[in-house]
This record gives sequence, structure tokens and C-alpha cells, in this order.
Amino acid sequence: MPTSMPRRTFLRLLALGVGSAACSRIGSTLGTATPSPFPTTVGAVPTGAPPNLTGTVATPIPSPVPPTPTSAPLPDLVVARGPSPEALVQQAISALGGMSRFVRPGANVVIKPNICVAHPYEYAATTNPWVVGELVRQCLAAGAARVRVMDYPFASDAPSAYATSGIQDQVNAAGGEMEFMPAYRFVQVDLPDARELHTCQIFDDILKADVLINVPIAKDHALAGLTLGMKNLMGTILNRPVMHFDLGQKLADLASRLRPSLTVIDAVRILLNHGPTGGDLADVRELDTLIMSPDIVAADSYATTLFARSADKLAYARAYEGINAGEAMGLGRSDLGSLRIKEISVGA
Amino acid sequence: MAPSRFATGRWKPRYWLILRQTVQGVVFLTFLALIVGAKRGLLSPELGNLPVRLDPLTSLLSFLAGRVLVPGLLLSLGMVLLTLLAGRAWCGWLCPLGTALDLFPFRTQAHRSEGPAERWRLVKYLLLVALVVAALLGNLTLAFLDPITIFIRTISTAIWPALDRLVTGLEAFLYPVPFFQGPLTSLDGLIRPDILPITPTAANDVLLFAAVFAAIVGLNAIAHRFWCRYLCPLGGLLGLLAKVSLVRRKVSGECNQCAACARVCPTGTIDSQRNFSSDTSECTMCLECLAACPRAGIQFTPELAISPWQAYDPKRREVLLSLGAAVVWVSLLNAESVTRPPAAHRIRPPGVDEATLLERCIRCGICSRTCPTGGIHPAIAQAGLDGFWTPVLIPRLGYCDYSCNACGQACPTQAIPMLPLAEKQTTVIGSAYIDQNRCIAWADGWDCIVCQEMCPVPDKAVILEKAEVIRADGTTAVIQRPEVLRDRCIGCGICEYKCPVDGEAAIRVYLPDSILNG
Repeated sequence: MPTSMPRRTFLRLLALGVGSAACSRIGSTLGTATPSPFPTTVGAVPTGAPPNLTGTVATPIPSPVPPTPTSAPLPDLVVARGPSPEALVQQAISALGGMSRFVRPGANVVIKPNICVAHPYEYAATTNPWVVGELVRQCLAAGAARVRVMDYPFASDAPSAYATSGIQDQVNAAGGEMEFMPAYRFVQVDLPDARELHTCQIFDDILKADVLINVPIAKDHALAGLTLGMKNLMGTILNRPVMHFDLGQKLADLASRLRPSLTVIDAVRILLNHGPTGGDLADVRELDTLIMSPDIVAADSYATTLFARSADKLAYARAYEGINAGEAMGLGRSDLGSLRIKEISVGA
Repeated sequence: MAPSRFATGRWKPRYWLILRQTVQGVVFLTFLALIVGAKRGLLSPELGNLPVRLDPLTSLLSFLAGRVLVPGLLLSLGMVLLTLLAGRAWCGWLCPLGTALDLFPFRTQAHRSEGPAERWRLVKYLLLVALVVAALLGNLTLAFLDPITIFIRTISTAIWPALDRLVTGLEAFLYPVPFFQGPLTSLDGLIRPDILPITPTAANDVLLFAAVFAAIVGLNAIAHRFWCRYLCPLGGLLGLLAKVSLVRRKVSGECNQCAACARVCPTGTIDSQRNFSSDTSECTMCLECLAACPRAGIQFTPELAISPWQAYDPKRREVLLSLGAAVVWVSLLNAESVTRPPAAHRIRPPGVDEATLLERCIRCGICSRTCPTGGIHPAIAQAGLDGFWTPVLIPRLGYCDYSCNACGQACPTQAIPMLPLAEKQTTVIGSAYIDQNRCIAWADGWDCIVCQEMCPVPDKAVILEKAEVIRADGTTAVIQRPEVLRDRCIGCGICEYKCPVDGEAAIRVYLPDSILNG
């Protein structure tokens, strides 16, 4: 049989295959030890104080460094109100010192909206597409090399959720890339500052991004009370059932590893009931509001005030579990009274 | 078309083989692309189910059993026309299963034409008669023998899921190496979600479908294209039409009885005992003989004629036997209680009327392929014997996406109706029941709420009740406990799919009689 492969050749190839597989294992170990060519944070400003292991409330995080020394101190949190979602983003980011404060030229940016289900954006189950699109534009204008938008929808397949939500169109129009999240690209990582969730599978491209921008939509949620900035980060991990016990602490643990540079809470339309999937316009309220802060805890804390039962911390006790845990870990501050909050009104 | 004109001159006979093999390859890949593209959101449904709509056999069966003419199926008349012009050219040039069989020539060229006794060619006609008679009696169980449906099922429920696992497994193996991370991400950008899903979806009974395909290929070892010669009911139908086909093979006076043509004939229909003539019902117009003939002794020319009835062609008695067998088969099937299992586990795609489905479903499996969650699977036992390989939703493997109505759009025979999305979203296909002995909240007293969170019904069919519970360790707590509101649940099964309890879910969808009876 002249056409068949001689045994010796086969064995040689086999040895080569096994050898290279073994080398790849070694390579992977080396790979993790090799420092990334990019610094883990490109933004000039730390997004939170170092973890506070004593459990006491952290001292206020260092104020952001203003871009020009002569200007007034920058706000900790901006609340913008107005009918145009794109204008809200523009004005809010400008009030925070501009996107260049967070995105350096050449940066690899990942934007994480909430695209949990294939509903049109009107149902307020997914982040406003124009908010996401404008963020992409701002990042590119600040010189980002690459801006990718991704989520791991739980209640629909990703292609239809990306399309139906309207986010895909706006991101493409703005020059960003929609990226899907295949399961094999979630990598097991340690969460060194965590108190409950010490290890977790997180999407590798998000871990490797220079800048993570967290863009949740403010929604009702049975277990979390509300789904806001910290809850939105659950879309970056693979094994979600493990989160369900002591959710608040675990969300704060996750945030301590991901440290989004910026949290933008879309409250253009909020979902008051039957979240997180919704589906009934009667549950939607138009607030035409956007909350933006480098401090995820402050953003979440402010967002709770948008809901009808805002004054009643007990009603949203579960949302506050996450907020309090985040604050206890030094991820940010929840006391709205002590934060520099800038409220701006953006005309039509 | 008069190939003989080219037989001398610059066009060489072997060019016909190159042309045929090219056509086979292009058509095979096109069919493959259409089937893969039948996944929701890729091709339009009319394109995705095109391979099925070309098939005159399944179109005929569905028409006879359902007594309704689905306009899209009239496309199959094109293939009838082709057969009246050029005989079983479908089998030799176009059929994807035939091309797949040509890829596995287990017998050498010199023994290509050999096979079992000629009389076995009868079997395909008897199967055809049985299929048609059973269809007239409203039964389509044996439609799974159609080659196009075999090809589609093999691709969508065996080969593609296996390929997906293989590619994903390789990617997962290579990804930890930093060198591969960029290329793999780029590769994913090319193949996902169009060719492979973002993350593998479930497949069921993969081995069974692969085994059926392997068996058909394996029969090539007994005789090349064994399936096409002896078994294929579509081949039988086209063979009957080919009795009056226009273009016919002629052996001229140039022939010097060298028998080269008889040796290479893939269906073994060239008879050296009768001056190397062939049967138009068996000839697939593959033109291998034309290329093998050293003396240009073979021509394919148009001629109005009716081919003689062969010794192996069905006689009245055999047709009656097959007819009777089909009647007995359907009657026994209808009487057998095994064929009517309780409906409880038979969750059908949205809008399906059970009787209509059984009369129209040709088991093509396009619905399985199109389902974005991989929830629709061919039934093995859930739908009884006569519902074998009809579509069922297996919620633990994939749910019915609230924002999707793709299966009804894709179904070529409308066994699954084409529902507008708004209507589909209120169509009840089952109802979810909580297993309180296993539910994390009910059995263990811990908050879970996943079923409520996932429930896509706008006002939530799963609601949460506050309850004070005493856990096994004696501690008490106030938790949120799920309940299903029967009048809101549509049975989409996402709760069962997402239930975090290991193994069997603690909330499961059943089809209660109350739903069946309105």
C-alpha cells in the first residue's frame, strides 16, 4: 500500500504532536508569568482606594486629578438629565474631565452594557443603544485603538439579543466592534481582594482590556433588589449560580477584580417591575437621566434614589448589601451627602 | 444538450467527468451552506429550507398525508422536470447524499459495478409504494428514509454538533498559549456565530444519527451506491419518471464489446448480456461510461421512448403486497398503545397541532437546525412510534426563546405553523411545575429566584412569595419562594433550562391534558 503512511512517519508525527502539546502547557504557565505589555490601568486615576481589609469604612478615595491644575475640582459623580441620550453622555463625560482622563491613546477598551435578552430597547431590559454608541465614539475620539462592546445574554442567544436591542447598529455606526463571548475564552482567575468569591471564570478579553466601561441599565431584580453597576458585572463571568448565595458580597468581590474605570448607569428608561427581563411597557418609566462616575459604589448608591421606594433603604436592602460590601472593601463611597455630585441639565 | 456532438473534436469525454464532479462538489457545498445557514438569523427561511423544497418525494408525501398544498413545495416540480429531461441526473449530479457516497468508494474501479442480485433493485420501489400508501392513510413515519432528510439530519444533528465540539475543544486546548490567543479570537470572528454557535448547543442522539449515516456509507462496501441502487425511495420515484426521460444512453456500432463501461458503472446497470444497454431507471447520468469507452461507442442523445419494464421492476403482485403491508403497518401502529404515550413529555414547537404535525412532518430536521437555543430535537420516544423523529422541545437542553419564531418560518411543510412573533409569545406549549422536593427555596430554604428572573412573560408567570422557613439546621429565615401562575405560563422552558439544581431541574415543563384539550 504505497499511499498509506509508514508507521515510522506516523510515530514521528505523534511524538511531535505530543511534544508541542506539552510545550504549549509549559508555554501557558510561562505566559501567565509574563507581564502584560500593557499596564493594567491606563487611566491616570485609581478607580477606588486600595482594599480595606480591616472591614471598616474606607477613607474617601483620592479626588481625581483635574486635567488642568487651575480648574475647579472635578465632581465624583455626574447626573445628567435631558431628552437626548447622546448629549447626556457628551455632557456628563465632559463634566468628569473628558474621556481622555480614562482612555489613553492606543488603549484597548471594552464596554460592557446590559444586553441580557432580545427585547427592543423601549422595554428597558437592555442598555440604551445611543448611550453605548456615544461612549464608543468618545473612546475613539480619545484615541482608543480598539473599542469592543460585549455581553453574555442569559435569556436569548447573543446574535439576536445584540441585534434586537439596537445596540449592534449603534456600535457599528460609531465605529466600535460587537464581540461575542465564547465559553472557552473565560479563564479561571484569583480574586485577591475578595472576601467570599476567591476564584472565578472571567472573560479573558475583559481581563486584558486597558479600560473597562461598565454601562448597566437601572432595573428591578428580585434577588439583587435592583440591577445596577455591580450586578451588571455578572455578565463577565461564566458560572453564575455560584453567585446566588451572598450575592452582595460576591458582586463587590467581582468588582474588586474588574475595577471598571467608569460606570455609566443608563436611566433614560428604567424598569420598575418584572425585571430583569421585563417585556411590558407599563413597567417602564422614562427618566431621561444618566449617572456617570469612576466610583461604582457611588453610581449604584445614587441610582437607588431613582426608584419609587428610594427613601426606604429596607425595600432595597439587597441592593444595599452590594453597595455596603463594596464600600467596606474600599471600592468607593455610598454616602451621597459627602460626594461631590454635579447635576446638569442638557437641553434638547 | 447533445453530448455526442462533443464526443469527437476537442471536447474530450473525460471533461464530462470533471464537469460532473465540479457540479457535485459545488451543489454539495451549497446544500451544506444552506443547511448550516438555516440557523436563525443567518439566511432567510426560504433559502434555509430550499434543499427540502426541491425534494419531490417528501413534497408528495406531505401533500398526500396532509391533503394540503404548501405553495413553496411546488419548487420540487423542477426536479420532476429535470428527471423527465435527463433521467436520474439528480442522483448522479446533485443529490448531496449521493455525492457523500461517491466520497467513500470502498470498491476499486475494476469492481465498481458489482453487487448483489439484480432483483434487489425492487426494494426501493416497494419502499416507495409503502411510503405513498402510508401517506395516503395519514402516516409519515417512514419519511425519514428520504435521502435529503437523511442528509439534513446527519449534518444538523450529528456532524455539525460534533464538528463544533471538536473545533471548540481545540480552541480551548490552544487558548492558554499566548501565541494562539490573537489568531483564535480572529478565527472566532470568522466562524462564530455564522458557522458555529458562540458556545456549543446541546445535541441529542448524535450517535444514532451518525450510525444511520455510517451504515448507509458502509453499504458502499457491498456495492458502490448500494443505497441509490436498492433502497432509496426518492431514487425509486425518479426512476419511475425516468422511464420516459428524454436524454438516453445509446451504444453505437463502434462498440467492440470490451466491457469497460460495464465495469465502471457506479450503479451496475450496464448489461454485458444485452449489448451493454442500460436501464434509464437505474442510470444516474454520471457519464463514467462515456469517459471509459475507448472507441466513442456511447452516446447520450434525445429520444422519445418508454423504457422496457425490467425483470426486477415491481409487478402487480409485489405492488399489492407492499400496499397491503403499508395498510397493515399503519393499522397496527394506530392500534398500538406504545405509539400513544402520555402527552406529558411531548413538548412541541409553538403552535403545533398534534394531528396536523403528524400528517405533515417529513422529519427533515430543519427546525432543529434553525432553533437558536438548540432546544428542538428529533423525538425518539416522546412522541410515540408514529411520531419518531418529529420535533420536540427538550427544555433541559434548550428553551423556546421568547423573542424567536424561527421554527415556524423554517418548516417547509408548515407542520409547525408560521406564527407572528406576538402570537407566538402568547402560545402555550406546556406548563412549568415546581418540584418542591428538590427546589433550593422549597426544599432547602435558601433564596434562589433564578426561574422568576428568567421568566420572559412580561408580568412573570413565576412569582416570588415571601415565606418564613425553618431550615434543616433549625435556623429560620425569610426567603422568596417561587410559584408558577398557571394562567400566565406559556411553557417556554427557560426556567427548566436555567434551574441551577444539578441533574434533573427542580422546575420542569409538562404538557398537561388541560392544554391539549383547550
